[in-house]
Amino acid sequence: MNLRGVFIEDTFAEAFTMRVARILITGRSARWAREAALNLTGFATSVIGCKCEAAIERELPLRESPDGRPGISVLFMTMGKDDMGKRLIERIGQTVLTCPTTACYDGLPEAPDRVGVGSALRHFGDGFQISKVLGGERFWRIPVMEGEFLVQEKFGMQKGVGGGNFLILARSADAALEAAEAAVDAMSSRTGVILPFPGGVVRSGSKVGSLRSKTMIASTNDAYCPTLRAVTTSALPEQVNSVLEIVINGTDAPAISAAMRAGIDAACRDGVLAISAGNYNGKLGPHHFHLREIMGGGEPA
Amino acid sequence: MSEGVVARLRQRLRHQADLGEVLAGGWTGLGPSELAVRPVYLEGSGTVPLGELFDLRGEPAGRIRFEGDLARADRLAAGLAEGEVIVEGSVGAQAGLGMAGGTLRIQGSAGPLAGAAGPAARRGMTGGELIIRGSAGAETGARMRRGLLAIGGQAEAYAGHAMIAGTILIFGDAGPDVGLWSKRGSVVALGAIEIPATYRYACTYRPAHLGLTLTRLRARYGLPVKKRHFAGRYHRYSGDLADLGKGEILEWTAE
Repeated sequence: MNLRGVFIEDTFAEAFTMRVARILITGRSARWAREAALNLTGFATSVIGCKCEAAIERELPLRESPDGRPGISVLFMTMGKDDMGKRLIERIGQTVLTCPTTACYDGLPEAPDRVGVGSALRHFGDGFQISKVLGGERFWRIPVMEGEFLVQEKFGMQKGVGGGNFLILARSADAALEAAEAAVDAMSSRTGVILPFPGGVVRSGSKVGSLRSKTMIASTNDAYCPTLRAVTTSALPEQVNSVLEIVINGTDAPAISAAMRAGIDAACRDGVLAISAGNYNGKLGPHHFHLREIMGGGEPA
Repeated sequence: MSEGVVARLRQRLRHQADLGEVLAGGWTGLGPSELAVRPVYLEGSGTVPLGELFDLRGEPAGRIRFEGDLARADRLAAGLAEGEVIVEGSVGAQAGLGMAGGTLRIQGSAGPLAGAAGPAARRGMTGGELIIRGSAGAETGARMRRGLLAIGGQAEAYAGHAMIAGTILIFGDAGPDVGLWSKRGSVVALGAIEIPATYRYACTYRPAHLGLTLTRLRARYGLPVKKRHFAGRYHRYSGDLADLGKGEILEWTAE
């Protein structure tokens, strides 16, 4: 299958079930809402090293803002239920509570699984905190030097999907980066989808385990490293000199499929030779995103 | 979606009617014929079934709409725990007395003691939302423990008297002695208010929780929330310092 001269490999991205929460952050201005969101989602690229994966989902239109102020929606993902509460308390406590003018709300009110966040952070108020119940939901007003920090008591959590991906195999590093940037632009601000890596792009795709160390759970994906073509079992076609990966997490598989379709379509441009995807032969993750099926040109492998 | 049950007053009430038993306990699954037998105490006549005073129609959908002049109907939605009650006009005294949940929307004005505690009760409303688009009589929200009470017009004296917790928003002017003897709870004054001497000024700021509450009141109930209510600041007064002192009055200011 070719798309504008770019070969779409007959393969699939293999993704995992994760837990996802949607965090809504509002602030006096879009600047401060974004500042808190960027800090909340900093160092949250991969559960391997960060214990969570998170990124900005989109800016909220004012009509969707819980308190009428500029807001940002964040998707926050962990591997298990138990992790979610710990990570949210740590991160919201250190990055949103501390950020001027912000407030923090649950963005998954229908999710039956609820994890306490404000119920723990309220103790920072040292007994001066005030509870308010609105629409059946409890909120905590925590006095801070600036004024008050408002945080919802519980946040919804549901199953999500982490690890959707595709690889851009390009003639040069410049071409790979341009294609990746175009893909990210096409995939950003979609409801239900985040790209947790820097700028939405990964240059260091990994394989499971290591050729030399038994303790490493992941190491460089040597089959896709152009500099190792001559010394390893390479998966790279001729003329490929650079590979970038886009990793996509989401609230559900259809959201990821739709984002991959838009991203791959945007990435198929001059200088790109092929689009591939990372998988573990279907042994590890239950969600399989077949590239040709997603792009409308083939049956599931 | 069904509009639920509609209760239209058959003829103008000539005497006070006590509707306190009509919506107490579970009612949202009841149809017109079942609600029609619920008792009403009519001054001068004794107990009569609701159906004698109101023409009821519709089907159960968790909502009941009262139509007609109910200015002489007292204790409407007293003890309300579920569902949505809409009153197209004004109501008498003690509407939503001690309500624990659900929503009571009064499109007109309410008499005294709306959302307050009954004579022998320690607590007023303990949950739910009571929305009065018009004005409210004296002691509205007295001894309320939880919930949201919004008044689109003016509030007479002693609103939030001896509040234990909860929130009262007054869009119009507030009468004297608002929040007197309160332990906790918030009174938000968007119009003129005289701060009781037993409250002490704390600061002037923009409380984020008010944005949340005002957004809900505008979106859900169409209350006249203005841009200035979001953009303005609020003087915070702590009180009543003659009691526990953990309550507050938030006074809107254009400063």
